[in-house]
Amino acid sequence: MDQRDTSFFRRPIPPAAIVLIALVVHAPLLIMQLPTTTTYDANFHIFFASHYAHHWFNPWNEQWFAGFSQTTYPPLGHQWIAILSFIFGLNMAYMLVQLIGVVLLPVGVFRFARLWVSERAASYAALLSVFLGTVAFLVYSAGQLSTTVSAPFYLLALPYFYEWLRWGRGRALAKGVVLTLVAASIHHVTLLFGAILFAAPVLMLAWMDRRAERDGGGLAVLGRAAVFTALSAIGVAIVLLPYWISILQHPIEQVPIPHASRSNFLLNVDYGMNYFIVPYGALILALPFIVIRGASVPRLRPLLIFFWIAFIFGLGGTTPLPRLLLGRAFQILTFERFTLLAALLALPIVGLLVEELLDRAPKLASIGVSIAAIATFALALGWMYFSPFKTIGGMNVDSVVSFLNRDGHDKYRYITLGFGNALPKVSTYTTANSVDGEYNSARLLPEMTQYGAAQLTSAKFFGRAGMESLRAMLKHANRYGLKYIFVHDAYYDPLLAFAGWRKIETFDNGLVTVWSKEDVPPARKIESDAIPAPWEGLLWGILPIGCSFFAILLWLLVPDRVRSLEIVPSSTPAEVPTYAREAH
Amino acid sequence: MRYLLALLIFAVTLLFVAVGWVTSGGLARAEIRSASTPTEAVQALLADVQSHNWDRAYARLANNKDIDRSAFERDLSGSYRSLRTYSSLEGFDVWPIHAASEQAVVRANLHWSTAVGPIDDVRDLKVEHQGSSWKVDWPSPNLPKVPPQVIPVNYLRWDVINRGPEDDWGEQNVDTPQVRIISMNPVERPDRLIILGEIVNEDTVPAYVNVNATLLDQHNAPMSQEGSFDKISHTLLPKQVSPYRIDFPGIKLKQIKSVRMDAKAMLVPASADPVIEVSGQRMNTDALGKKVLSGELLNESGQPVNIAQTLAVFYDSNGRVIWVSDGYIDQALLPQTPVHFAVDLPDDVAAKVQNYHVTVNHYSSGNS
Repeated sequence: MDQRDTSFFRRPIPPAAIVLIALVVHAPLLIMQLPTTTTYDANFHIFFASHYAHHWFNPWNEQWFAGFSQTTYPPLGHQWIAILSFIFGLNMAYMLVQLIGVVLLPVGVFRFARLWVSERAASYAALLSVFLGTVAFLVYSAGQLSTTVSAPFYLLALPYFYEWLRWGRGRALAKGVVLTLVAASIHHVTLLFGAILFAAPVLMLAWMDRRAERDGGGLAVLGRAAVFTALSAIGVAIVLLPYWISILQHPIEQVPIPHASRSNFLLNVDYGMNYFIVPYGALILALPFIVIRGASVPRLRPLLIFFWIAFIFGLGGTTPLPRLLLGRAFQILTFERFTLLAALLALPIVGLLVEELLDRAPKLASIGVSIAAIATFALALGWMYFSPFKTIGGMNVDSVVSFLNRDGHDKYRYITLGFGNALPKVSTYTTANSVDGEYNSARLLPEMTQYGAAQLTSAKFFGRAGMESLRAMLKHANRYGLKYIFVHDAYYDPLLAFAGWRKIETFDNGLVTVWSKEDVPPARKIESDAIPAPWEGLLWGILPIGCSFFAILLWLLVPDRVRSLEIVPSSTPAEVPTYAREAH
Repeated sequence: MRYLLALLIFAVTLLFVAVGWVTSGGLARAEIRSASTPTEAVQALLADVQSHNWDRAYARLANNKDIDRSAFERDLSGSYRSLRTYSSLEGFDVWPIHAASEQAVVRANLHWSTAVGPIDDVRDLKVEHQGSSWKVDWPSPNLPKVPPQVIPVNYLRWDVINRGPEDDWGEQNVDTPQVRIISMNPVERPDRLIILGEIVNEDTVPAYVNVNATLLDQHNAPMSQEGSFDKISHTLLPKQVSPYRIDFPGIKLKQIKSVRMDAKAMLVPASADPVIEVSGQRMNTDALGKKVLSGELLNESGQPVNIAQTLAVFYDSNGRVIWVSDGYIDQALLPQTPVHFAVDLPDDVAAKVQNYHVTVNHYSSGNS
């Protein structure tokens, strides 16, 4: 055998080894429960999961916004946490679900990359996905559990999509559709954009490959794509039916809330660092190669084009394209997730780059690539501490929870001020309800939807809009039974004092103060037309989780007939053969 | 040919980024920074203030040799935990009032976001042409030096002993102070209905009051309920009177049959300190042409008052309350140091005003 094939540097890395590396890198950070203290959204996901743990078939949650429907957010990730929480507790259950996401990601990247590049390059792509800055950013800083768990399922579905398009195998269709439903049940936004950004290049690839084999049938590919799309759409429509009902009944019409990811990163260095430098890291150095190689090799062009679209979207307001294409949706979406999609789309080409570097200078390249990957990951983790954007999710809220849960204080509603993303932590463990909340899309109270500000607890960060919204809510304290206000930022003290609240208690050496207004009547149920019907709760509690169980059953009982798709691109762009063959 | 797509992607990306930079205000920002016109000079200064870049803002002053940098910063960022220290400059409108070749006057309307809500501040700024650019002649902050003196503390104070720390405030099973609404007058404005009036504490102990109003429709069913919120003096000493104002946005007088008033009072500890004198009250017109009641506040005590709110009640010739308006003072009331205040009122109401009275609410950090 040729030495070229046996050298350690010229062989694919076994997927099992990559999974092990993913575990070694991410498991300690997750076992330390880092996301609960460093991320914006982890407490939010845990709060949603906590509701499912207590009320599996009732998605109406009265703990926020004087009542809101959890059917406004796909439930699967939260339901998994809820189930696991009975064994591991809520926090560790969250970590386990997140760990499943980050471990499945390299597997998904490997299988997706195999459609485009050699097994060896795909293995490098998979390995690099473990160290992606955007993954570290989303998992340990943003806390975007749903995006980071649903994306791997889309990636896993894509090879089946390709297999169905190319050879029309029914089992591939079934597995692809079920994995798509699982991914959609975890995150709706990833469904929408993943379907376009990931599925479209795979469709183009299948069409190109089919034509290259000269067996005609380009129309057959399109026909099968239509079948796959139709089945997926019908499936998603049924599995997430309560979501569609709620979104049609109450479309998001609130005044847009500013978000830094929609900014022009060139005009704000901190935003540029946060949403571009940190998530991409050393991948920025590979951008010229991605574009040049992607453009040179006809088979990689669909991948390049959709990478570029995701890349441009990830730049938020730095270019006018997302605003032009998305219209009003531009003001609703946040754009950091597109960086993940762009990075995942780029990884197969980056795998090729690593392959070529290793061929040219094995030791130097392996050291260089390793340093770049680890530095990227380290930068994303380090940025959490150097960043001007700090979270306080790790704040101790025990005294607040204890106050609310004693002496009938939970007869009234409460808000927190200056608690940031520790608010869901309070809500998770108290029996009292709040008029505030951390999920903007579910808000229906006019005091919150008419001002262009997000959470009341962070009102000051939204300037005049935020303080106007807070004033509006405080003015209607009697209407909502809003009696208690917990303050973790003395900025809010003057308003409360002038508005008729009085400080009644102090916790944690003065860090938290409790304010009360005496003429507030006990909270009463606020009538809403957004309460899901009982049958919707039943569907919500059965279908999404059922999909995931069905996917596991399919994986266990119906093994892949095609072990892997062997696509054989050479390292020379001009000579890449554009065919695929099966390996049985 | 195979590099054409790559070149196209690079070119289109650069084009998009360039267009994005221009449309996001990058070009305008660069122009403003050049301060080539009086308006741009003020805009550049305020942009630096907005981003708390005090060094650069100070460098833009024409008179920075005559004004201390820390005094300039204090003027805009506040001191003594005043309302300005709880504020951020969210935006500004700038327009020229007068322009000549070497000097100009530019009016700036500063939109502050503060801890008690939005506040606008109008300033007329002199701008001078120096070298190739314009610079702002910032008015020197005039902080009077108060001579050392002893302020005797002889105010009245009422303390309340709680039954136990586990009881909520107000649940002490003691009689509530006697308070009474002495007047109530519904006033219709184009966008809202306003309930105005006064409330008195008739008891011999302090009371903490809130006034709520419920509008009843033609069938005596409740239509809407609102409270006085911050348009009242919540703490009333014995025999003290406070105006109140309750707004009902979007409601017309003809929609309602009656109003149910509800005054809630609680016994609370209170003191007569600090004593704040209101003097020099007069009706006039401000720089924007609005009718205002202006005057001066003097903190007669020995401790600073961090944030003060003036609450003005206006009466017609029959002694009826026809308007209540309020305003927050953005600087702290230092002992024995007069501070200007102004509260506005609608032109049509101003024409009917025969008398007025100003009361002052205050907030001192650590004493809420």
